Amino acid sequence: MSEILVQLSEAIIDGNVEDIVDLTEEALDDGIPAQEVLNKGLMAGMDHVGAEFKAGNMFVPEVLRSAKAMQASMDLLRPILAEAGVKHTGKLLLGTVKGDLHDIGKNLVGMMAEGAGFEVKDLGKDITPDQFVSAIKEYQPDVIGMSALLTTTMRVMGHTIKALEEAGLRDRVKVIVGGAPVTQEFANQIGADGYAPNAASAAELARKLVS
Amino acid sequence: MQVRKNNYTVNMTPTMQVLTENQIEAIYYAALAVLSETGVRVYDKEGWDLAHQGGAVVEDVQADSALVKMPSWMVDKARATLPQRIRVIGTPDGDGKRKYNMDLYKNTMYFGTGSDTPFTIDPYTQVRRRATYKDVRNLAKLAEALPNVDFFMSLGITQDTAVGTYDRWQYLAMLEATNKPINITAVDIEGLKDQLEMAYIRLGGKEEWKKAPCFSLYNEPVSPLSHSEEVIQKLLFCADNDIPIVYTPCPLAGATAPATLAGLMVQALTESLFGIVLSQLRKPGCQVIIGGLMSAMDMQTAVYPYGSPEMALLSAGYTEITKWMRVPEYETAGCSDAKCFDEQACMEAAINISTAAMIGGNMIHDIGYIEQGLCSSPHMLVASDEIISRTKRILRGIPVNADTQALDVLDQVGPGGHFLGHDHTYNRFKTENWRSALTDRQVYADWETSGCKDYQQRVQERMVEILEADAAPLLEPKMYQELRRICELADARHKDEELDVQMFV
Ligand code: B12
Repeated sequence: MSEILVQLSEAIIDGNVEDIVDLTEEALDDGIPAQEVLNKGLMAGMDHVGAEFKAGNMFVPEVLRSAKAMQASMDLLRPILAEAGVKHTGKLLLGTVKGDLHDIGKNLVGMMAEGAGFEVKDLGKDITPDQFVSAIKEYQPDVIGMSALLTTTMRVMGHTIKALEEAGLRDRVKVIVGGAPVTQEFANQIGADGYAPNAASAAELARKLVS
Repeated sequence: MQVRKNNYTVNMTPTMQVLTENQIEAIYYAALAVLSETGVRVYDKEGWDLAHQGGAVVEDVQADSALVKMPSWMVDKARATLPQRIRVIGTPDGDGKRKYNMDLYKNTMYFGTGSDTPFTIDPYTQVRRRATYKDVRNLAKLAEALPNVDFFMSLGITQDTAVGTYDRWQYLAMLEATNKPINITAVDIEGLKDQLEMAYIRLGGKEEWKKAPCFSLYNEPVSPLSHSEEVIQKLLFCADNDIPIVYTPCPLAGATAPATLAGLMVQALTESLFGIVLSQLRKPGCQVIIGGLMSAMDMQTAVYPYGSPEMALLSAGYTEITKWMRVPEYETAGCSDAKCFDEQACMEAAINISTAAMIGGNMIHDIGYIEQGLCSSPHMLVASDEIISRTKRILRGIPVNADTQALDVLDQVGPGGHFLGHDHTYNRFKTENWRSALTDRQVYADWETSGCKDYQQRVQERMVEILEADAAPLLEPKMYQELRRICELADARHKDEELDVQMFV
């Protein structure tokens, strides 16, 4: 493998936000196709980060720095990939549901998903079913992720899925749910496509659902 | 029971110090700077208008929120009317007497549970499952019986009742089993109104509430530096109705607050100071308790740790700030990140309870929490009661005076004798020495004969003993029906918000 791809994946692992843009340009100038830069450079690095995080050798702020480096490089690659007709990993639309103001877990899911190559649109917190519906129309996501940390607001996840059905959008998106009191059983009850107990597995789940 | 740290003629209570006075002042003045220069975001128009009328600068007004900056004199002014002492007294026994008195001011100390856990550990099967009405009642019964639990919070969400109105059902379950002061939670302002109504009924009228409220309300601003509509509306309602309000942020270092503990404290204090000022603008004398649940994110699991040394340390440091300010405060201890009642649970509770006690916070909550506040454990509650008792013994210290030095006794026994049969031992051993039926100190053979029971088993037995003990109902049937009716009416009003699938199977 070319030296520059190794350097790129190292820059991802080190969270080297400063040099990643130059390295990405250099790789493209060397004639390496954008897709290869993504898969063999960036994603190779992120896979390593993911494994190290799971093993307890890397920590949240380090993973987020890597994800940030990944995003900086993706900003360059995205238009080229789009032009070449390469399908991106996917678009994830995120929000904490209406009535709920807990957002740190949702933010973390968003950052981890970016690290996994997703284009993430975060609607914020206190999001109504209607807001989800219109955002789906506007952004055309592949996956929507809803977060709730209250038993009272968990109900809104069910209401939102209903609203998607009523708007005829349910088949167009995969729905994933999470948050501390949410469980797999609850996800099944309301007809979500998936549940994950933490941010890393949320990103993995989203990736599985779009592949 | 309350332990005053200013016992005897000079203060001989063992104490702990986390911050020096200079450090406290540095944090306080930094918080004033943040409140006046960075400002806080307020998501309630009534709230930002009130702040504006009181002298605050209101900027960047959006449809849903505004940035509010409060000059420091507003804090000085608010503190002049802020009560230094707040009393919450429990509900009356059969004889009409309200015997559980929580008198909160500098150096008094009370312990209580945490609230609203989605899960609980079943007292018999010891399996983790969703909490129910009966669990809340059981846990309240335990709290009623445990001598070192001074106030109660619903150690579980009632999840076999309607979801959107669970707060009223929880309150009913608590009133069924304890007369101790309660720190309630409310799903919204309507839930708060209903519970106040229930309290009036329980006390026999509003006048009795005026003498002393029987509950306080738990209310949390949103870190970092935001105050939601819900939180502001609750604060204003409490001010108008003489409900003591616990205004306590939950910042998490590295996630919703700076990663450095001092930075987190500055932020938390800014958040509480805003609440103090707004409350006093609404009604001078409004009763506010500030404090905290503060911790640093675990950067491997991304959880909010409840059993970490940082949690205990922050809680202790913040308590010192509130003492310096002379404002009643809320602290955290008796909680753990363990998933069951195990060695880790006990270790974490023992350390955070003793730290809290050595500092001496007013309302020390979250006894009985495991799994980062997501699960309650009746075992943890019973064990914590013992840990508190132990700690209180340490707080009694070693009084040193002519009487306790016992020179006369030493002289009588002299070299080589013993003290076993001496009157002095007979008279003093019970008050000098702490003991507990739960702690085992038998010799090995006796321990073996008594069934080789480890701590978990002994706690289990004690818990079951309390749960199964006959207890006269605390609510007359008529009173129960009246209270229940408020819950049912609330359910009827909110029926349409429920999901048509069963949420918790
Ligand atoms: C911090 C906190 C707050 C802060 C939140 C600040 C903020 N900016 O987010 C504040 C103070 C605002 C707050 C307020 C309240 N809180 Co609160 N809060 C917490 C606490 C202590 C930690 C939450 C947290 O940040 N965890 C860390 C993050 C990283 O974890 P996480 O959110 O669970 O997210 C992870 C996973 O769940 C998953 N995930 C999350 N979202 C998603 C989405 C998808 C799609 C997927 C796949 C995965 C996923 O991945 C994340 C990362 O690994 C929890 C206790 C707990 N241990 O959960 C209580 C807790 C959630 N709160 C609780 C309560 C009751 C409240 C209040 C109602 C209190 C009150 N009576 O006023 C208010 C409600 C305000 C509102 N309307 O939302 C209860 C909830 C009980 C329930 N189920 O109903 C809890 C459990 C504590 C308790 N026992 O009382 N709270």
